[in-house]
Amino acid sequence: MADHPKTVITGLDGVPFGMIKYFADSGVMPNTSELISKGIFKRMCSSIPEVSCVAWSSMITGQNPAAHGIFGFMDLLPKSYKMTFPNYSSLKSAPFWDEWAGESVIINVPGTYPVRQMNGVHIAGFVAIDFEKSIYPKPLAADLKQMGYRLDVDAHKAHSDMDSFLADVDKTLSARIEAYRYLWDAVNWQRFMLVFTCTDRLMHFLWDAYENANHQYHSFFCDHFRKIDAVIGEIAGRMGKDDLFVMHSDHGFERLDHEVHINYLLARDGFLQFKQDGEITLEKISPDTKAFALDPARIHLNLKGKYPCGSVEHSEAEGILSQLESLFASLEVDGRKVIRDIYRKEQIYSGPYLDDGPDMILVAAEGFDLKAKLKVHALTGKGPFTGKHTQDTAFLLVKGLADPAIVPDEPAVSDIKGIIEKGLISA
Amino acid sequence: MNTNLSQLDKLENQSIFIIREAYSQFRDVAMLWSIGKDSTTLLWLVRKAFFGKIPFPVLHIDTTYKFKEIYEFREKYAKEWNLNLLVAKNEEAIAKGMSHEKGAFQCCNELKTMALKKAIAKYGFKALYLGIRRDEHGIRAKERVFSPRDEDFEWDYKNQPPELWDQYKTKAAEEEHLRVHPLLGWREIDVWEYVKRENIPVTDLYFAKNGKRYRSIGCETCCSPIDSDADTIEKVVEELKTSKISERSGRAQDKEDDYMMQKLRSLGYM
Repeated sequence: MADHPKTVITGLDGVPFGMIKYFADSGVMPNTSELISKGIFKRMCSSIPEVSCVAWSSMITGQNPAAHGIFGFMDLLPKSYKMTFPNYSSLKSAPFWDEWAGESVIINVPGTYPVRQMNGVHIAGFVAIDFEKSIYPKPLAADLKQMGYRLDVDAHKAHSDMDSFLADVDKTLSARIEAYRYLWDAVNWQRFMLVFTCTDRLMHFLWDAYENANHQYHSFFCDHFRKIDAVIGEIAGRMGKDDLFVMHSDHGFERLDHEVHINYLLARDGFLQFKQDGEITLEKISPDTKAFALDPARIHLNLKGKYPCGSVEHSEAEGILSQLESLFASLEVDGRKVIRDIYRKEQIYSGPYLDDGPDMILVAAEGFDLKAKLKVHALTGKGPFTGKHTQDTAFLLVKGLADPAIVPDEPAVSDIKGIIEKGLISA
Repeated sequence: MNTNLSQLDKLENQSIFIIREAYSQFRDVAMLWSIGKDSTTLLWLVRKAFFGKIPFPVLHIDTTYKFKEIYEFREKYAKEWNLNLLVAKNEEAIAKGMSHEKGAFQCCNELKTMALKKAIAKYGFKALYLGIRRDEHGIRAKERVFSPRDEDFEWDYKNQPPELWDQYKTKAAEEEHLRVHPLLGWREIDVWEYVKRENIPVTDLYFAKNGKRYRSIGCETCCSPIDSDADTIEKVVEELKTSKISERSGRAQDKEDDYMMQKLRSLGYM
């Protein structure tokens, strides 16, 4: 490795394989199209569940949730029903930048707040809260502030004022691009990772604008991807011929037809019950509860010894899981099956934190968004969202691999770290 | 035994100096009284500073979710100390049924922050006395004794006047109001030792009943008591000397968690 090939990773949060293909083919993303023609471009699976913090934690560590310890955006404190929000400090495995030699620049990877000391520069992504705690090394915070850097777009705006939300999206993207350009030259890096996350926000609120060319925000939607493609082109032009280029999403997206409330179903069929004082929160679960769900569709048995009001004996667990399996397998809305896959934790997870995870995990069928809200009054609903995450339609694009066989036939987000490692060894 | 007395005297002198200094700069001032131990200590110092006759109003931001003991305490001492007591509520939000069930963050914002904003606008206060202490919470470590807020209530903690050698910047720009923190340098234990020395009345909620006491008091809905057998001031002081648990651990949800929840909710989670 005389000339130390560098690695650049660009992440497009939530962007599905089909959308990249469509934008590449239709001229919205010409630079991406060229990279596709020179590299390997595949559909990729996300983590289970297919939410950003789990998927990105899997990507940067190359591990599954039972090994890296992140099962969702929220979790329960040990032996309680009290909510906690896992973050970068809860991640149990090392991200690649702590393992590989040389400096890294890491911009906006979800699930990496608050930052800590590392070899290079790290700007945390969603859910990053305090600006100072989002930037390493600290003195950089002042420079970024000057550039108008924003950690995240304010998605609350999309609920009340779409134009002001979109103005925020533009500003966030421009500032992100400015930060990338500055750090590209300022740091002597071995690997550079830049993640665009407004893509996910746009698809949540404006999937319909993507699908419908007459939608008032259709051109805004396409322009956003055009701008990202221009950055991709700029980056590709600045890379050496032996450098490795990776572009990928963490999960896919598709149209949302119905939100389906799993806890409503569990309560309706008697698996979930609350104490009789009127308040519907997890902390008010009654000991009669057999199972409850955490977002998006992680089913936890109310096991004795694991939870304060736990009543399910380990010997009963299998019986209850089979009952739940038939309930979920037969669930239909509008004559369509709601749940595509039902997994027991042992089927998809392995590692030292297996016991902390859910006992059963559901993956929704097309068009259905599974939710674990508690205060709902119907099985299905529809909020302001028009798009939803998908588990099996993320994408992966790699250019610069000496041996294309390094990419598995059906890659998953947790394979990316290994692909880069093998790619650099063979280079 | 009395080694801390000189320390308490120093703190008391400094606080009274700050209180008088601020009043000499701003006449349109008020003091926030949450009726907890810190702001009651502040009230005690303010009474001392002006020889028992406070020349400005005492403002209570009432979320309507306070403990009944707090309301009783307020009525009793407002009368006894002859306070010009103003009670501010966000009536609009209360009428719409705002409560912690809509999210602690939103509830605090509506019933505390918005209520205070409205009160400041209504009465035109230029400065407010608050009983916050630097050792209470991580973020408060960055506070200044004279702390400007802009019209949006934003606290730009990186653009604060330095306060070296106790030279305070007491002027505020036109659109700002100044927060004055006379107790900033006090520790929790200083407050309790001072309460004991001066015999300042505090609500019984701070003293253990059935093995539980409140160490920090906010709304009844979002506060939980700590395990404790300290049923007298002496025992509270003793407990604090050995405790390694943070003062506000009984308060609900850390603000970061709250913020996180808001972000997740905006994307349809939770």
